[in-house]
Amino acid sequence: MNFLTPEQINRRTFVTRSAYGLGGLAFALLAQRSLLGAVPAELPAEPGWRGALARPHFPVKARRIIYLCMAGGPSHLETFDYKPELARLDGQAFPESFTRGQQLAQLQNTVLKARGPIAPFSRHGQSGIEVCDLFPRIGSIADELCVVRSMKTEQINHDTAHAFMNTGSIIKGRPSMGSWLLYGLGAETENLPGFVVLTSKGRNGVQPVSARQWSSGVLPSRFQGIQFQSQGDAVHYIGNPEGVCQSTQRQVIEEIMRLNGSLADETRDPEIATRIAQYELAFKMQASVPELTDFQSESPAMLERYGVKEPGDGSFASNCLLARRLAERGVRMIQLYHRGWDHHDDIVGGMKEGAQAVDRATAALITDLKERGMLDDTLVLWGGEFGRTPMGQGTGRDHHILGFSLFMAGGGVRKGTVYGSTDELGYRAMENVVDVHDLHATLLALMGVDHLRLNTKFQGLDIRLTGVAGKVVRGLMA
Amino acid sequence: MVTLRVPIVSLVLLSAVASLRADGQRPISFNRDIRPILSDRCYLCHGPDEGTREADLRLDLRGDSALAALAPGHAEMSEVVKRIFSTDPDEVMPPPESHKSLTPAERDTIRRWIDEGAKYETHWAYQPLERPAVPAVGESHPVDAFIVAKLRAKGADLSPEASPERLLRRLSLDLTGLPPTEAERAAFLADRAPGAYERQVDRLLASPRFGERMAVWWLDVARFADTVGFHGDQNQRIFPYRDYVIDAFNANKPFDRFTTEQLAGDLLPDATPEQRVATGYNRLNMMTREGGAQPKEYLAKYGAERVRSVSTAWLGSTFGCAECHDHKFDPIPARDFYELQAFFADVKQWGVYHDYGYTPNPELKGFSNDHPFPPELLVESPYLQTRDREARAALLAYVDGLAPATREPAFPAWRAETQAWLASHADGWAYPELSATRWIKPRALDEPPLERAPDGALQLGRATKSGEYVRLVLKPAAGRVASLRVRLEGVPYPVSAAAGGFRIMEIEHASGERTTRASLHFAEANHRRPRYRNGYELDGVTYGWRLPEADPGEPLESVWVLSEPVDIREGDELRLRIGYDMAGVVRVGVSPLATLDPLDLVNGRVRAALAAATDSATPQTPARVAGAETAASSSPTPRSPGIDGGTAQRLLLETWLASRTDDRTRRDHLRAETARIREMNGGKAWTLVTESAPPLEVRVLPRGNWQDESGPVVLPATPSFLPGRRESTPERRLTRFNLAEWLLSRDNPLTARTVANRLWMPFFGTALSAVVDDLGSQGEPPSHPELLDWLAVDFREGGWDVKRFVRLLVTSRTYRQSTQHRPALREVDPANRLLAAQNPRRLDAEFVRDNALFVAGLLDLRLIGGPSARPYQPAGHYAALQFPDREYLNSEPDEQWRRGVYMHWQRTFLHPMLVNFDAPNRDECTAQRSASNTPQQALTLLNDPTFVEAARVFALRLLQGPAATDADRIDRAFVLAVGRAPAPADRERLLAFLQAQERHYAANPDDAKRFLAAGVHRAPEADALPAPALAAWTQLGRVLLNAQETITRY
Repeated sequence: MNFLTPEQINRRTFVTRSAYGLGGLAFALLAQRSLLGAVPAELPAEPGWRGALARPHFPVKARRIIYLCMAGGPSHLETFDYKPELARLDGQAFPESFTRGQQLAQLQNTVLKARGPIAPFSRHGQSGIEVCDLFPRIGSIADELCVVRSMKTEQINHDTAHAFMNTGSIIKGRPSMGSWLLYGLGAETENLPGFVVLTSKGRNGVQPVSARQWSSGVLPSRFQGIQFQSQGDAVHYIGNPEGVCQSTQRQVIEEIMRLNGSLADETRDPEIATRIAQYELAFKMQASVPELTDFQSESPAMLERYGVKEPGDGSFASNCLLARRLAERGVRMIQLYHRGWDHHDDIVGGMKEGAQAVDRATAALITDLKERGMLDDTLVLWGGEFGRTPMGQGTGRDHHILGFSLFMAGGGVRKGTVYGSTDELGYRAMENVVDVHDLHATLLALMGVDHLRLNTKFQGLDIRLTGVAGKVVRGLMA
Repeated sequence: MVTLRVPIVSLVLLSAVASLRADGQRPISFNRDIRPILSDRCYLCHGPDEGTREADLRLDLRGDSALAALAPGHAEMSEVVKRIFSTDPDEVMPPPESHKSLTPAERDTIRRWIDEGAKYETHWAYQPLERPAVPAVGESHPVDAFIVAKLRAKGADLSPEASPERLLRRLSLDLTGLPPTEAERAAFLADRAPGAYERQVDRLLASPRFGERMAVWWLDVARFADTVGFHGDQNQRIFPYRDYVIDAFNANKPFDRFTTEQLAGDLLPDATPEQRVATGYNRLNMMTREGGAQPKEYLAKYGAERVRSVSTAWLGSTFGCAECHDHKFDPIPARDFYELQAFFADVKQWGVYHDYGYTPNPELKGFSNDHPFPPELLVESPYLQTRDREARAALLAYVDGLAPATREPAFPAWRAETQAWLASHADGWAYPELSATRWIKPRALDEPPLERAPDGALQLGRATKSGEYVRLVLKPAAGRVASLRVRLEGVPYPVSAAAGGFRIMEIEHASGERTTRASLHFAEANHRRPRYRNGYELDGVTYGWRLPEADPGEPLESVWVLSEPVDIREGDELRLRIGYDMAGVVRVGVSPLATLDPLDLVNGRVRAALAAATDSATPQTPARVAGAETAASSSPTPRSPGIDGGTAQRLLLETWLASRTDDRTRRDHLRAETARIREMNGGKAWTLVTESAPPLEVRVLPRGNWQDESGPVVLPATPSFLPGRRESTPERRLTRFNLAEWLLSRDNPLTARTVANRLWMPFFGTALSAVVDDLGSQGEPPSHPELLDWLAVDFREGGWDVKRFVRLLVTSRTYRQSTQHRPALREVDPANRLLAAQNPRRLDAEFVRDNALFVAGLLDLRLIGGPSARPYQPAGHYAALQFPDREYLNSEPDEQWRRGVYMHWQRTFLHPMLVNFDAPNRDECTAQRSASNTPQQALTLLNDPTFVEAARVFALRLLQGPAATDADRIDRAFVLAVGRAPAPADRERLLAFLQAQERHYAANPDDAKRFLAAGVHRAPEADALPAPALAAWTQLGRVLLNAQETITRY
């Protein structure tokens, strides 16, 4: 393992710490902290965390991830996996040879009928990737995409499927992907959280999502995702109390830090130096979050390009633009949930509405990153927690875990590619199957991390994002 | 403090000599030196798990394969030694690709161990529990004897005792989660008599705050939460279980009874309600009602979670690993996992709490996302009973206070009018002409109107369909309409579980061209099935009336009180939009009266009151005492019209006020008081309990796969690797009670070790074995194994007496020493595991809040127990929750400042203050919280309205207090916040800070006004103070409430 010893970490934080303007006393205390903190499974608590890995295991292709999580499970059959044979069978009995003995969700004990794709597909760009016509703008950047048509997962209900997609396990307390990245690699910002979550909501097929999905689990809580809110303070408690201006707030913080300094003199408790630094950091966040969420500096053309109607309205479009701003500021993991893909009914209306909500902003985000030269080291991931059945369910489709699609773009992925395939009815991933652990292993590898070597002890066990499974899928990498 | 000092040097020498071999090296101990290496590097392939075992070599036991590979006594011949020292990458063990390579020192240790004979020892935690001798080091307290013996071996000793003020604050925070009051502090500082400290210990152990403090620990272990956790994360009703835990600690219920009642209280002979409430423990696993979820899959998840929770809670073992395969490091076979699970196979539960078409659950017919999670038990809640009594007394007092109003001329006039009206309306209601047609918005269906009976009643005909409603038009005579009566007859019984609803969706008053909407205040029926919203039962039938499933044998009667009475002119219409799920005959009446209990208008009480009241009567106090039969004006059951004069007069007064439109203040107050009484639900509450059902079949699931039915069926049995195994036979299936018996038996060494180890943690910072949820081989051998065993035996033999155990810990010198870590010891013991000083401990989340509110004088300590409270929470925190959508309403002042232990625990979106201070969401058993130090904590203490409000109330307390000068006030602020006076330099600086803040707020009065408005606490005396001063002191309060010393116990 290439974990830093506490002493090494301390040496590194020593250098970065000067930014916090601590006095000599605090420095001396921090130096001792590393010795005192030698309790198993305890990590140094200093804010300038640079990550548990001393150096990357592999060449770093991506420095950050923007995960556009299409919560609810968008249909692969109406996005990236065109199945003419399914179209032909539309309305007829679904061949039993496919479904015998398989787990179904709401379609249990019902007559299974094939439902053809509800919208046509077109080929795009040099690569000729087929994308559903509901997503013309994503289609227009097909040559940037690496589409995976052979995903499979293990969990068929939303809650557990999200948990599996985020943490590689359904056991509670497992850290989510963003927490792993923050723990392993640290962040490139000290004024913003290193792992940020944004949520938006469609009109159809909306399912709840739990804060458990961005929990740090058994890792210390400072590695948890921080959810930005679309009403009230962008981050909980980031705003000063009413009637307290920035300068009075500063005076209060200075008094707190001074008082803590006196206590440090007396007690020699090493936590105090950390606490002083955290107040400094909190104050900086209080300034940097409003700057981040203020879209004044974005031109009307830029807002139009993403389709932002009202900056900060909590829409997917606004969140995409915010994601780009977070990426620019060094946030390691930015996860956007768009709740609106659970189309048990009215998949025709639902897909149309969902596509309208995300197509433009997704494409704008990727091209915007590219124009800024950031796509090279930013990995964009688009996909749901599972796919949907090729069998109809009323006017919609049920959950499906044996085959579905997602795409990646940017940071080290093979562009203009389709990887893997499902059978002729889109039921089961057949060729180059990628399971969730493989996806995680590959994402980590693109970030320069060997999934077998990023772990933490919990209840005496080494736990990992990929559990005991997962293999890096070279075919997805440039 | 006088201590017995033994010359350190000689002790060090002695102990060192005793443990040295001739060559100057300490003999190898398997448990101390070898097991950690083998477990971490070798067991994965050469350990307990048969599935991953390589080369048939098993090193966790001294079996044939191990003996052959080790060659005890002859390292030079040992294959193990050869392999671990090999430089050939194909041969060396562990293989390089495992990333588990041995260090040179570890290789040497293994070689020496083999040379010394490769002796194995049972893993420390599984060894039989025997009481070790207390080291004779001249310490009278056993804890100190063990600690000091080890310290002296390292040339160290305990630190001096902490200062009395720090010590009392420490003790008080540790035992009650609250700091001492000023009076308690003064009393302790003045108490010079021997035993002063012990008296404080006894006082605090006897305080009811002790239970609230200890409960936090156990509620984490028991994964107590207010919501089910999966998917929609709906509310579950279980607060009486929390009360049970608090009461158990306060009553010092022995831990063995505490254990048995939670696991098997329902199986005890003549189980009491309390014992059944305790079984809520078995129901605290997460649950789902997600559409598409499969019951069998979720029952498997629930079952597996229970094994993890029980094994962590009582055995300190990680059984979770054995769900899919034999444990890699500990001798836990997968079969043990399922045998343990089988104990709970009788716990009645549904995999998916709904009656979906794809998986019918007849018992849950009609369930929605708003329904609770049965089985539940209705129990008495002392908290609600007290609140109920208080609310009834408050209503009574208020009404009695209004008695003079009856002397206003309007009152007798109204009474006469009412009497006349009732005289002309035989059953107390007017039945206006009505017509009814079926509609689907925006127009009437092309169907004939509903049929009318000759007496004015209406045939409902078929049930209304989705989107359809019946438009009922009433033409009342001129006059006031304050209530509607709906009486149903001829309902074709039985009605199905999903059917039987009657709803008034809209009421319009059409007067000439003008149409205004009227709303309902409250409606009640004589017979009804409960209705729920967000898991809680709704009062009355305002939002819809669900008829009883069985025919009650009398007419179904309901009264719907309007929010505002409507004054009808000649020709006006009342248009009702109604819907219903069954046929029948309905009769609709109107009345100019409104009563607090709507049913008083159909049970004859109003008429009786009119008859009983004399002209001169005013309420005779105390004609009614607060109690069950008196002001039960919210009871849905009609009562006898027999009524005394005082009661009659009060009822008339209430009715008069409730029926008026010109005195909303008094009417709304009456309504609010009545609603509060209803909220208390007659002092009763529902709670999840364990009900025993025929046990489900439990199989070993290969790789944990619930769809794989190839594994053997298992019956309940205790773990095979632990002593005293108990197994079911086909004739006699063991029960949860038998499991509890074994957990607490002398055979099982783990329960006492686990609990004693864990109870050490809150008082010393780190447990004796630091990984409190894993006493297995991947955990940590205890720093003081003999002390842990001594404590475990003492706890068990002492009758599992928790208070006695805690008292033992906190009366030690070890506990009482200063937290100042001496630089000289850092080399020897960097993590202070030998305890040459106390460890500072940041308060747990709930106590960060409690402490701040207590310092401010705002904490509500009036009552123990009760439903969860909802402190201020940022808006939109539940925006991503649905099924049903969630709205968070802050508790009112009567419950806003309750202790953190009572905070609403939403598993998927825990309160951000709790999250930021490391409270677990309690999805599963949590034995240890982390103690992080983050900017989010700073932001919470700085900006969360709870803390801003507390700072203001703190300021008010200081400004109103006895202190004469600002400097004195600062001194008092320090004493309140951290239990000591400030250093002179700190006092000076804060005085300057105060002046600067006061100047600022004097120059910015608007800011001061906004700043002082935080929260819902209102104090008239605050308005009398100059705003700039109060604002400045509030800022000072914020400084102190944020200080590290305030949130830490030193």
